[in-house]
Amino acid sequence: MRDLKHRVFFEHLLSDVKNELVDEALSEGKLALGYSCYFVPEVLLNLAGCFSVRMRAPGITDTSIATYYMSEKTCMYSRSLLERAIEGGYNFMAALISTETCSMMNRCHEHFEMLNLVKEYNEKFFVSHIDSPFVTKDYALKHYEKQLRKHVLDKLNGVYGVDVSDEALLAAIEKHNEVCRVVSEIGEYRKAENPPITGYEFHLIELISECCPQDLILPYLKETLEELKTRRADEKPWYRVRVVLAGGENDDPEFTKLIEDAGAFVVADRYCFGSLPGREEIIINDGETPLSAIARHYIETNQCPRFMNPEKVQGRKVYLKQLAEAYHADGLIVQQMKFCEYWEYERMYCQQVMEEDYGLPCMGIEKEYVNTSVGQLRTRFQAFTESLEIKKLEKEG
Amino acid sequence: MKYYGGCDVGSTYTKAVIVDDTGKIAASVIRRSKMNSAESSEKAMADCISQVPGINSTADLGYIVGTGYGRNRVPFADENVSEISCHAMGVHTVDPTVKAIIDIGGQDVKGIAVAPDGTVKNFAMNDKCAAGTGRFYEAMARSFEMTLEEFSTLSLKAKTAVPITAQCTVFAESEVIALVGEGKAPEEIAAGIQMAVARRCFVMAKKAGAVNSITLTGGCAKNEGLKKAIEKVLKIRVTALSVDPQLMGALGAAEFARRKGGAKA
Repeated sequence: MRDLKHRVFFEHLLSDVKNELVDEALSEGKLALGYSCYFVPEVLLNLAGCFSVRMRAPGITDTSIATYYMSEKTCMYSRSLLERAIEGGYNFMAALISTETCSMMNRCHEHFEMLNLVKEYNEKFFVSHIDSPFVTKDYALKHYEKQLRKHVLDKLNGVYGVDVSDEALLAAIEKHNEVCRVVSEIGEYRKAENPPITGYEFHLIELISECCPQDLILPYLKETLEELKTRRADEKPWYRVRVVLAGGENDDPEFTKLIEDAGAFVVADRYCFGSLPGREEIIINDGETPLSAIARHYIETNQCPRFMNPEKVQGRKVYLKQLAEAYHADGLIVQQMKFCEYWEYERMYCQQVMEEDYGLPCMGIEKEYVNTSVGQLRTRFQAFTESLEIKKLEKEG
Repeated sequence: MKYYGGCDVGSTYTKAVIVDDTGKIAASVIRRSKMNSAESSEKAMADCISQVPGINSTADLGYIVGTGYGRNRVPFADENVSEISCHAMGVHTVDPTVKAIIDIGGQDVKGIAVAPDGTVKNFAMNDKCAAGTGRFYEAMARSFEMTLEEFSTLSLKAKTAVPITAQCTVFAESEVIALVGEGKAPEEIAAGIQMAVARRCFVMAKKAGAVNSITLTGGCAKNEGLKKAIEKVLKIRVTALSVDPQLMGALGAAEFARRKGGAKA
């Protein structure tokens, strides 16, 4: 298969949070708003004059200073963000929108305030914390909507004078939905038996859609979609088996590549946030305001293991089963970052339920934020691929 | 007669096995691994080939499978298969009744559940640190200024075991030195180390689905002291294999080669 026209450019964009498209938007006077959780609606950070930046720490190798502040028993993602912030990697940001979702990330964001990070470069910089619900009842939804109003919209309007009217929200939803449509259409190609896209390529595409200003990345996404319409896959599918990759935060396409190098095509990605969930269009129902529709959308589509109510707990397993069926997966890989308080339990539970109740072979992986022990991981992925391949051949008779 | 080869390039030792078209072992070698995996595999396979009359080079083998951590760097292999699949297949060819394996290699410990046809039913790996691996034993034996064989024999002489609390290889080494300094009997410390590793094998044994018995593979399977400790701590029988357990990865690779090369299973 020929390389995607913009693959190298996309990889380059992901090599730094402050990439050239972010620089371009900043030069136009736009506000960069950081976030690191699906409970922070990306759409609200893309109001006119603003753009969202998914918090990442590409290329991080050492988290010693952050570990001093946060302890070594916290996930490496939260420590990496703090370390990068201390290095000055987010000094271009206008605000960091946080949630109460997980205590480790919360602690990381608190340190932005305690250590007075970024403020030295932008005195208006603020960290705002949203209190997110644990359940999906009506009262929880109303609370969440109020939180979004108070800790996102009112803050942006009060500090930077951002237009947060219903009209502005409608315009943001329209732009957001367009990105979602394009990314989802690209993702649909993964359902094909001999797809013109790899899981690694899709991971790149999905990530750049979250790490770059929407206005500036959209033309590249559209061009890639057009390219895929005529891109020819090799005559014989390159993969041996198909897998769904699920789990917590994963912003490293090299991890996906490692799995695919072992012969397992990553057909669907179900992380904390990404495309499934993450790239569903926001629909405004009758009687809803734009903000209430956004609040409902982000609670309904949310697959965070923080939700404890039975319908969400069981719903997460059903969702995985549906993904496996829709994308014709032979197995499931669940990855979890070490010390992740939610996914540690969810991974174990998931493995058991998916195998025993749904008959879907499943492998669990505990990993760090950056790829370490690559040789061992490669062995695990290859052994899992081989076992899936044998099961597949047995099924086919 | 056609022959097939398997080459297991491990982190510490490289193993090669040649089987004939009935699956019988025609030759096998175990050599210390070098830094260069390709060189290790070439040397081991050349030595193995030299033991089989009528064949002179890898070109005379019907099919070759590489396995182990250096499997991607076996220049003469037709393909590579993970060592997890190969250990399962190797044990299955020697004893088809075995259903669970603990493979203690140079740098990790694996629990493998074997399906009735010799394929992998399930597996678990402890690759987070060197505790309980071959490297761990090398460090412990070094503390006693002994070879691994001498260390194993020493542990068998103990009447009681001194508990070792440290999980980490480095800290365990310090703890052993401290215990020696306190005047504890060396054989009791050695037995304590065997018990500590046996406990670490518990999770792997359970994940491999072991109920009444299990088989050990890898270099550490030759450690009699460990075998006894596993039987005592896990209350489980360790099934002995009729072929050197360190060869199971290479044997499995050779069996895969035999099947893929066209010979009937």
